[in-house]
Amino acid sequence: MTSEELDPLIHVPTRLKIVATLAALPDGDTLSFTRLQDMIGLTPGNLIIHLRKLEEADYISSEKTRNGTVSITTVALTGNGRKALRTYTQALRDLLGGLDGGGRSAEPGGDYVDF
Amino acid sequence: MNHTSDTTATGNGGSFDPQQAAALLDQTTQQARQSFTPLTPLLWVFRAVLALVAFGGYWLSVRGRNPYSAPNGWLLALIFLLVAINIAWSVGVIMRAGTGVSGPAQRKRRAWFGVMAVAWIVAFGLTAPLYHAAVSHPIWGLYPASAPLMFIGLAGAATAAVCKYWPMAGTALAIAIVAGVAGFGGPAGSWLIMGIGLSAAMLGTAVFTARQQHRSVIRP
Repeated sequence: MTSEELDPLIHVPTRLKIVATLAALPDGDTLSFTRLQDMIGLTPGNLIIHLRKLEEADYISSEKTRNGTVSITTVALTGNGRKALRTYTQALRDLLGGLDGGGRSAEPGGDYVDF
Repeated sequence: MNHTSDTTATGNGGSFDPQQAAALLDQTTQQARQSFTPLTPLLWVFRAVLALVAFGGYWLSVRGRNPYSAPNGWLLALIFLLVAINIAWSVGVIMRAGTGVSGPAQRKRRAWFGVMAVAWIVAFGLTAPLYHAAVSHPIWGLYPASAPLMFIGLAGAATAAVCKYWPMAGTALAIAIVAGVAGFGGPAGSWLIMGIGLSAAMLGTAVFTARQQHRSVIRP
């Protein structure tokens, strides 16, 4: 396997951070745009560009709700997005020399059952 | 910091090599876990200290005394201060972790906090009628030391198991077991067993939580 085979949509620093952050949430939970922006450290414009690309690929879903005069946008990783991140992570492990040979590494967010 | 260049420079994965990607994936995952975790390892360490100071202090003040007397005012003041810090810290991290997050897991978590708040109030609320009934000193020494936390631990373990919070279920069960064992320690010894046992359970939870948060998604 070569690095060219890594999912080009995820293999971009900013989008990798977005996907990894959303994967740390339990399945079905959503994150507000402002909290995600705060965690990733991007301007709203840049974040929107990356989110749009991920949404076009059905890796994330977004929803806009209106609470009075305030509009809240939330985003979440879709099933496709989780699957793509798992595939990407496995590809990275393979590329870095079969690092999963001995023990078991954590899934990106998936097997982290936290309180 | 210009984030737009980040997009264009590595838009095709060009200069972003797999080593960098693996490091970034690990770092981001760990930061996100820490950010979304309401009960941090440091808070568990603080609780371990609180348990040791509160129960150990009580043991120091009641051991070898018959009839048992209340601990001195300084110890009570210190315990109240530590409990107040614990509550404020817990509420702070819980609110921070949940900011901007919504969905079924959040609702389940809120339900868990509700059940535990009721369990705490009921378990410690029962000490008031006991005190009012002027129960004997041994009972007064034994009940507050072990019974409330045994009840809270069992309620917590059952609720956590229903919610599939397995690490929390383990911690709560450990607390219930320590409290059950402490009941055999006598009015004075029960405080010491509780202090050491709870402290160990909470330190164990702190270590487990820290290890979980820092687990690599790339390396085993």
